[in-house]
Amino acid sequence: MQVIDYITLSFLVVPLIIIVINNLFSKELSERISLYLAGAAAIIQMASSVADFFLLSSSHLHHYDFSLLWDLTREGSERFAVNSLSLVILFCIGFVSFISVLVANQTIEKKKTAYVSLLMTLILGMNGMVIVTDLFSLYVFLEIVGISSFVLVALFQTETGLEGAFKYLVMSSLASLFMLTGLAFLFMQTGSLQYSLDWTRFLGARNGLSPFTYLAFILLIAGFAVKTGAVPFHSWLPDAHQSANTAVSILLSGIVIKVAGIYGFIVLMALFRGFPAVSAAIRILGIVSIIIGALFALRQTHFKRIVAYSSVSQMGYILLGVSTGTTLGLLGAIIHIFNHATFKSTLFSNAAALHEQVGTLDIDAMGGLEKRMPVTGFSSVTAFLSTTGIPPLAGFWSKLFIVMALWNSGSKGFAAVALFSSILTAAYFLRLQKKVFFGKLSDRLAEVREIGGSIKLAEILLTIVTIAVGAGFPLVLLYLEGRGLL
Amino acid sequence: MEAVLYICLGLMFISGVMAVMFRSMIKSAIALAAASAALGVIMYELGGIWAALFEVSVCSGLVTVIFVSAISLSNMDKEELGKVFEDKKRMALLPYILIAAGAVLLAIVLAVGPLLPAVGQVVKPIGDLREILWNNRQADIWGQVIVLVTGAVAVVVLFRERDEI
Amino acid sequence: MNLLQNMMLIIGFLLIISGAYCLIRTYHMLKIIIGMEIAMKAVTMFIILAGYISGNMDLAQAFVITVIVIEVVVAVVAAGIAVNLYKKYGSMDIRNLRKLKG
Repeated sequence: MQVIDYITLSFLVVPLIIIVINNLFSKELSERISLYLAGAAAIIQMASSVADFFLLSSSHLHHYDFSLLWDLTREGSERFAVNSLSLVILFCIGFVSFISVLVANQTIEKKKTAYVSLLMTLILGMNGMVIVTDLFSLYVFLEIVGISSFVLVALFQTETGLEGAFKYLVMSSLASLFMLTGLAFLFMQTGSLQYSLDWTRFLGARNGLSPFTYLAFILLIAGFAVKTGAVPFHSWLPDAHQSANTAVSILLSGIVIKVAGIYGFIVLMALFRGFPAVSAAIRILGIVSIIIGALFALRQTHFKRIVAYSSVSQMGYILLGVSTGTTLGLLGAIIHIFNHATFKSTLFSNAAALHEQVGTLDIDAMGGLEKRMPVTGFSSVTAFLSTTGIPPLAGFWSKLFIVMALWNSGSKGFAAVALFSSILTAAYFLRLQKKVFFGKLSDRLAEVREIGGSIKLAEILLTIVTIAVGAGFPLVLLYLEGRGLL
Repeated sequence: MEAVLYICLGLMFISGVMAVMFRSMIKSAIALAAASAALGVIMYELGGIWAALFEVSVCSGLVTVIFVSAISLSNMDKEELGKVFEDKKRMALLPYILIAAGAVLLAIVLAVGPLLPAVGQVVKPIGDLREILWNNRQADIWGQVIVLVTGAVAVVVLFRERDEI
Repeated sequence: MNLLQNMMLIIGFLLIISGAYCLIRTYHMLKIIIGMEIAMKAVTMFIILAGYISGNMDLAQAFVITVIVIEVVVAVVAAGIAVNLYKKYGSMDIRNLRKLKG
């Protein structure tokens, strides 16, 4: 086996090994070392994806097939495959998991072993989703991600946590129902669900699409929309984010809704490119999510809820990028996935810091904290500017790509609305910043100190990444041009 | 073959609706088990022997046991159930909805009916189920392994008593 | 054959409607899970029907087996959360779950 084999296999093997090691020792020892194990797994994942990316591009292969302990060459065998897109997403998975572990170091006191085991199964599920080549296997790993997230939200058995988990579970089951029914109707007509099938031939063969195909598309899109938190299927998202431990909220908003939802849409667009109804539906989902997510965010008073609705809104942008079907749109969507992971993790780290030091997350009870918590305040402002799309921070570039892609592919109206929605984004974030960090410092809060330890490290790291990616983006542009993608 | 299929289809439908309409939880769980059994027979008749086996043993058996144990952990007697949960009132609308939906669906399906015939234009499969499952769906096998591991962790986390880690 | 397929489609959709109705309207947590299970039965039937129509029954069986495994684990997790909620509130009534608003 070559080097690339070993590195690619690590995406599946490393989390499995960590689960085994984690549960092997006595409880006390496990509690102490489990977070370190999880951090190591995240770092290994990030390194593997970067190494694989360069190996893959230097060998001029479009994708790389591999398997885990089975014979790939047998007729009709299933295969795992990585390509450049999946490697970028794998990197994001590792990155967000690492940030989550950093925050978990201070926000979780008990049940660290359980958290790490579930985090590993979550990572396995997400890794699995991006490397399979069959729609049904995509569904299987999607369920793994779902089950791991329910239990993570319910992990600490608080009243709100259990409630959020139950609501999430119910909505997610509806999504699974939709998706499976859609898959069944597709299977009815094609006899197989692999990516490599010639979909346009099978489905479009008999003069126009049969109504079952339309139904299947609607169901699949609805199912993935629930998982992404797109409007009107977003109702589970704020509850789950608010009630979960902040380390879990980082995972949910930072990567789960993207891999479980957006990646599903990317697959749908790739397979069903020949059917314009699909991209039109995704576009509408996107634009509605942006507007309604932002409007709801303006009315909330709980820090984490505002951030959750902001996620709904930003998912809309990514959906718009995906719906164009062009390379530029897809690039914008992927870069925005990474950027959103960064600034959303920053905001949730700030939430964790505020909760630890101030004790509440009600923004009406805070004010003037910038003087007492400068690091948190600065990182929060950076995240906010990046979300709104102010140059030269990272968010500006991805939003630019998406708007340009929309403009080029003829949806000029959508592009204009997306651009003006930045004003709404700025509005709710400005309100948040003003109420929490600026203004007069009340006497109750005069004793608050800055957060220390790993949360501070996470905030600093994320701020550096946001600024560096934004400033250094022209290098990325040069690289893309060199690869012929622009 | 046809008669058995239609009877079981009817049985499954009726047990399913009864499972929704019953006010007692135990009766609902048993109706669910009956629906699973009927579905198992349907699957067997259509040619899916292994799937029928799984369906009857797991869904009719294991899931019913899970429900019965969850119900017994939270037992309330029947009159209290009826009063507190107002199930009769809330579910009363269902038969009418079903009849209306049934009429609409009948119209739609009759209009849209022409589907592929029973043995379609698909590639003839390679062998029987065991070969397909173990030789062609290996990613799904790994998926099932991971799902079971996740389930095991979930059970440990959710069902353990308060003061342990 | 066509009559059978049409009947299965109709009954399947009716069962999904029943399951979804149960899921949405009931106040009892475990009843929600029962509604979910009923709808899954209908989906399983759709998969088998799809396998029968397209001729690839073996692949459909592989799908059904995997779906059953997943469905059982989801039911167990849901029951676990429901029992935990029962221990907190003393009742399986979902109207008690009002803490998250907005």
